[in-house]
Amino acid sequence: MPQKLKEVDVVVIGVGFAGSILAKELAASGLKVVGLERGHGRHSVPDFQAPAIHDELKYSIRKGMMQDVTREAMTFRNHHREVALPMRQWEAFLPGTGLGGCGVHWNGQAWRYHEEEFIYKTHIEQRYGKKILDPDLRIQDWGITYKELEPHYDRFEYLLGVCGKAGNLNGKIEPGGNPLEAPRSREYPNPPMKEQYSGALFRKAALELGYHPFLQPSANMTRPYTNPEGMTLNPCAYCGFCERYGCEHFAKASPQTVILPVLMKNPNFELRTESQVLRINLDSTGKKATGVSYMDAQGREFEQPAGLVLLTAFALNDVRMLLLSGIGKPYDPATETGVVGRNYAYQTQSYVPTFLGEDVHLNSYMAGGASGTVIDDFSVDNFDHSTLGFIGGCYVLCGSTNARPVEFHPTPPGTPRWGRKWKDAVRRHYNHTAIFNLSGTSTAMRGNYLDLDPTYRDAWGLPLLRITFDFPDNDVRMSRFVTHKASEIARQMGAKIVVDSPRTGPFTTTSYQSTHNTGGAVIGADPSTSVVNRYCQSWDVPNVFVVGACNYPQNSSYNPTVTLGALIYWTADALKTRYLKRPGPLV
Amino acid sequence: MTKTHSIVRTMFVLLVAGLIVASYLAAQTAIPNKTISNKATSNKSQIAVRIVAEGTTSGAVACARCHGFDGASDGSGAFPRLDGQSAQYLAGQLRHFASGIRQNALMQPIAKGLKDDEIDAVSQYYASRLAVPFPSGPVSEQIRDLGKQVAEVGDLSVRVQACESCHGPNGEGMPISGVPYLGGQYSHYIRVQIQMFRQGYRKSQQMLVPAHNLSEQDIVAVAAYFEQASRPTVK
Repeated sequence: MPQKLKEVDVVVIGVGFAGSILAKELAASGLKVVGLERGHGRHSVPDFQAPAIHDELKYSIRKGMMQDVTREAMTFRNHHREVALPMRQWEAFLPGTGLGGCGVHWNGQAWRYHEEEFIYKTHIEQRYGKKILDPDLRIQDWGITYKELEPHYDRFEYLLGVCGKAGNLNGKIEPGGNPLEAPRSREYPNPPMKEQYSGALFRKAALELGYHPFLQPSANMTRPYTNPEGMTLNPCAYCGFCERYGCEHFAKASPQTVILPVLMKNPNFELRTESQVLRINLDSTGKKATGVSYMDAQGREFEQPAGLVLLTAFALNDVRMLLLSGIGKPYDPATETGVVGRNYAYQTQSYVPTFLGEDVHLNSYMAGGASGTVIDDFSVDNFDHSTLGFIGGCYVLCGSTNARPVEFHPTPPGTPRWGRKWKDAVRRHYNHTAIFNLSGTSTAMRGNYLDLDPTYRDAWGLPLLRITFDFPDNDVRMSRFVTHKASEIARQMGAKIVVDSPRTGPFTTTSYQSTHNTGGAVIGADPSTSVVNRYCQSWDVPNVFVVGACNYPQNSSYNPTVTLGALIYWTADALKTRYLKRPGPLV
Repeated sequence: MTKTHSIVRTMFVLLVAGLIVASYLAAQTAIPNKTISNKATSNKSQIAVRIVAEGTTSGAVACARCHGFDGASDGSGAFPRLDGQSAQYLAGQLRHFASGIRQNALMQPIAKGLKDDEIDAVSQYYASRLAVPFPSGPVSEQIRDLGKQVAEVGDLSVRVQACESCHGPNGEGMPISGVPYLGGQYSHYIRVQIQMFRQGYRKSQQMLVPAHNLSEQDIVAVAAYFEQASRPTVK
């Protein structure tokens, strides 16, 4: 018999960036907030301290910070005619777990999206006509504009202390920044990171070819910085252990370094770790949430009644929780009815290994998580697609996030995969190989979606989330085009060998690409094609708000975190200024 | 120390060693066809010995006057141990003294009196010494434990990371990233330097927040802990 706990005002499912910021804002408004986190509690000190944190085997290979695959995973298939199988180890993407969520192990790549991305369908159809879209693509507008989000982008960037150089200040193009970025209302809080040698070589080649290189915006500090919450961060040491690791220096913006200590001091907030939420409970009408049920580490089940439920548990988990709780109608790709699970998208990554020759010493192990040099000329819709036959694009980044010895072994094509010749090749190329990283749009497609698996269940007896996904032909064509452009830059750098390797299908879960899983609970103006309204409020159960990359109707070229940050503050604002004054549907 | 902890440490040391070897090999291939004759090498070390013993005619006082021939200095804590310190770090600091980035009335004229190759020569000289330092004073168990805690774990309440995150296990230093060793350094010297960071006489973005946030007691404790920590060996 579950134990029923005393009612609180708000329960937050998942305490990462979204959970901790929303909890902080609401607790500061005087509400009683409980944060339920399924993983362990953890803090910069002592949990992320060197040398133990620099354990590549534990964190990179054995995925020490990720969800426990023996208790909870997803099943996967490429196509709805196939039978999905559960993932037994994380490779393609890495869902984190534990206090701070993915905000602990991210690289700190801190991008805004473009203005036209929020009106993507309108924009694409206006610029190119409907014919450019393959019939099975399902792009749509966000129901919210960049202009509305800009103040919230700004607030999140100042919370994080993002390091960069503005390229477009209120419409005025600034030298040194990204001239193609969306207009921002003020300069970044901190200057950009130091450029790597490979990035400097890339910059020169890109300029020679007429592109617009700049240093990517980073949430790893370039100087001591105190954010508006009073949290002080230290400068990054370029140690090369960023993504998949916690930061020992208080240098990477994470919930632990920018907001959690403030939240934890507020007596209105209570954190409960190792609390696995089983479902959001609804009343008999099915239109009002009454709280959540969860199980603690001892296997005791509790019911936590609450007036407001915030679902902030990572894109894939958010969608699963909606499906497990019966909130919103599940999407059916055959009839294209229902919305929960619809418009699941990913990221179209490709790489260009660039072998520069033994007289070029890159020392790529000296790297921050976001210290690359980038061109934005081929991102999203920054170039004319009218004769190209596809939509979307990639940013092209050169620079390392690490050159860790267990993982980084660039060898040219034709090298044996083991043995003395392999070792010789690694020795020969380790310090002389730059890797271009192309991060590309992922276009929503009718057959790509999320639902509950009919067969496989988790350690609590609940159905796993099933992912059905393959790269749309549009995105494969896009990747081929932009990857060829990137290879031209690599050759301009004087590379001896350039491996032009665009992304091709089928999508496979066995090699790392990106953890930028998006969609499934998308934002929008039309309840027949979206799960939440423009304030991230469930259309069906108005006292449930869902905030995550699951809100994105399609995926951008860019890393999603800072746009999510803007949505978080936008939602916090709507909750405080609208919902709390008059609870009920905001649209 | 637990067994896993020591394994992690061993791996870490091996990793750092691997990077040093890699950069050494890189440095070798970086200078193709340039052979350094034994004569040149011995000339260089002779230059260093002469500067250490006699100083230069352009104003550098003999290094040995304060730092000794073996780099053990005088044990007062006013002067650091230099033996086995990375040459890259020593040369960097000499250049900072000369330019005034690191403010020190005693060292500035000395550093200014050294030519660029002389800076490299004396730095390499002290980097390759192994001294017998002056013995450290007694430290209470309580202070040493506090120092060990701050050095190895850090202090969340003041948002200070473990010193060893940069200065390496036992404060052995990280020569490849130009981070000095603290293990075996005189505690008085460490304390003075933390105060110098705190008051802005030494400029380091990395040290700014830790130097500000550590309490006086923490500073005394980490300094005492590091003086007693295991010594670096000759690099």
